[in-house]
Amino acid sequence: MENFASLLHGFGVALTTYHVMLMMIGVLLGILVGVLPGLGAPNGVSLLLPLTFTMDPVAAIILLTSMYWGALFGGSTTSILFNIPGEPSSVATTFDGYPMARQGQATQALTLAFLSAGFGALVGVILITVLSTWVAKFALRFSSPEYFAVYFLAFASFIGLGTASPFKTIVSMGLGFAFAAVGMDTVSGGLRLTYGFNELLSGISFLIAVIGLFGIGELMLTMEEGLRFDGIRARVKIRDVFRTIATLPRYWVTLLRSAAIGCWMGITPGGPTAASFMSYGLAKRLSRRKEGFGRGEPEGVVAPETADHAAGSSAILPMLALGVPGSATAAVMMGGLMIWGLNPGPMLFVERPDFVWGLIASMYLGNIVAVLMVLATIPLFASILRIPFAIIGPVIVVVCFIGAYTVAGRPFDLWLALAFGVVGYLFKKLNYPIAPLVLAMVLGDKAEDAFRQSMIMSRGSLSIFWSNGLVTTLLLIGLALAFGPLLSSALGRLMKPKASSAVA
Amino acid sequence: MISRYTAEIGSATLTAGLGLAAVVGALEFGIGWGDAGPEPGAFPFYIGLLVVAASIGTLIQATVGRHGLQSVFLHKEEAKRVASFFLPMLAFVVVGRLLGLYVATALYLAFVMSVQGKYRLVISIASGIAAAVIFYFVLEVAFQVPLLKGPLEAALGLY
Repeated sequence: MENFASLLHGFGVALTTYHVMLMMIGVLLGILVGVLPGLGAPNGVSLLLPLTFTMDPVAAIILLTSMYWGALFGGSTTSILFNIPGEPSSVATTFDGYPMARQGQATQALTLAFLSAGFGALVGVILITVLSTWVAKFALRFSSPEYFAVYFLAFASFIGLGTASPFKTIVSMGLGFAFAAVGMDTVSGGLRLTYGFNELLSGISFLIAVIGLFGIGELMLTMEEGLRFDGIRARVKIRDVFRTIATLPRYWVTLLRSAAIGCWMGITPGGPTAASFMSYGLAKRLSRRKEGFGRGEPEGVVAPETADHAAGSSAILPMLALGVPGSATAAVMMGGLMIWGLNPGPMLFVERPDFVWGLIASMYLGNIVAVLMVLATIPLFASILRIPFAIIGPVIVVVCFIGAYTVAGRPFDLWLALAFGVVGYLFKKLNYPIAPLVLAMVLGDKAEDAFRQSMIMSRGSLSIFWSNGLVTTLLLIGLALAFGPLLSSALGRLMKPKASSAVA
Repeated sequence: MISRYTAEIGSATLTAGLGLAAVVGALEFGIGWGDAGPEPGAFPFYIGLLVVAASIGTLIQATVGRHGLQSVFLHKEEAKRVASFFLPMLAFVVVGRLLGLYVATALYLAFVMSVQGKYRLVISIASGIAAAVIFYFVLEVAFQVPLLKGPLEAALGLY
């Protein structure tokens, strides 16, 4: 009940004309970056972040989270109408969304996608409302070794749960930590890893990395594939919208299952992309109409969309309560929180309840605003993609570089963004995951501090990481996540020859 | 034409080099135990070692599975498209450093629109200038965020 009272208080904070206006602007900007190729949620938020440095933190986070919701919706729109996922997490939506649109059911596909996405997000936010205080209270018991174990758990789950080669995940993560270490050392205050370059004295900003890796890298890949938009004209008819809403309860099993998958993947750092694929796969396996999947099965739109948005919103929970973001975008937002002078983690609930509950309340409102606005503005945004890429492409490039410059007003960052762009292009082509790099850059200093403080506490003995039940459990789960898949595949390989010889 | 195998080996060597750079850089700051716990270089040192080790892992994986990696990484046609996108972008950054980002924006948009978009020169130039002016008003006037400026802005007295 305590949470409910706090939530009501939060609505009091969030429900002002100014904040609702910011939500609408945020959602519109979000749909725009979600629709445009090369601009997704993580770098949309990165580009907008420098402009919010002077704003009040509550207003700023409302603007950024609303942009996040908008970007998620925009990503699904292009998946359905153009067969081009605006976001990596909406790739799975193309499988059935585009065929549906081609069969003249664009309105149905879009409405289903938006509504199930809204449902998923709502489940995620309810989960945050119910669990956040509890998680934060639990986390108040954490000291440095526990924090290091939580960070370890987060990164271990990338290695274990990711689809990429574990070596590549480790490389990407390690590089992120190394980039975070450049510049000032937060413990001793000294400089390190600057190699004599003055430009590196103030470190490498994670925002530059996100803009380069996600923005410019993505654009290079888009250009290489030779972009063509074969869009389907969509006119959203009100009657079709209502008719589709009436069919939604039919998919309640899929909705609930997908929301559960999404929440789980969002809280653990599996992220929305993995969630949407997993949810689509399960829906296909468990459906009675398996053969319809891939040819315009409505369930194939509902499943990935629900999971995508459930994961997207529940990724905010570990960010707020533990200071460990569950997705790349949440990582960028957490970086923003730290820039505004807020310290994400359990103390935030004690020190700034107005901020926390204002944010949570704004997530309820923001998603409702997003569903309404996205339904109203789809034809407009779909027509943006009909503008030739010779105009849109360079404008996106310019926006990315201007964004990179506004982060700190340093000309050197332009080169850095370009370099990260090339790295992002190579990494995407070679299946190196990028999210671990971003997460490591945001968490790098915190993880290192936690490690060094633990070492100071134990006078250099690693045994502090199994000194009590809590830290040992966290560490063991982390190890199990990191090496579990490796061990099971090795075991499988060992078992196989025996099995075949038994047959022979 | 570059094969996937070459690309894998090249990038893994690059990441190993970056890891090694972190290791070498960290050695300078001490990797042992100082007065205030672990010295500043310790964490980057071990992270660097981890990156080198994982890069070697990727190298071994690529070498062992090289038969599966004979596919084409980059066609000539694709390389051309990427280059035609990348080179103007590179020029944009260089010009941006010299003449400021507003001038670079106008030139870059005008160039890409006329050369790659096959728009008429007048329209391209007008669009480029219009975009630069819009960016100016959004950033400097509305959000009061200063952008990198060059000699043209100085001559016009825009600061």
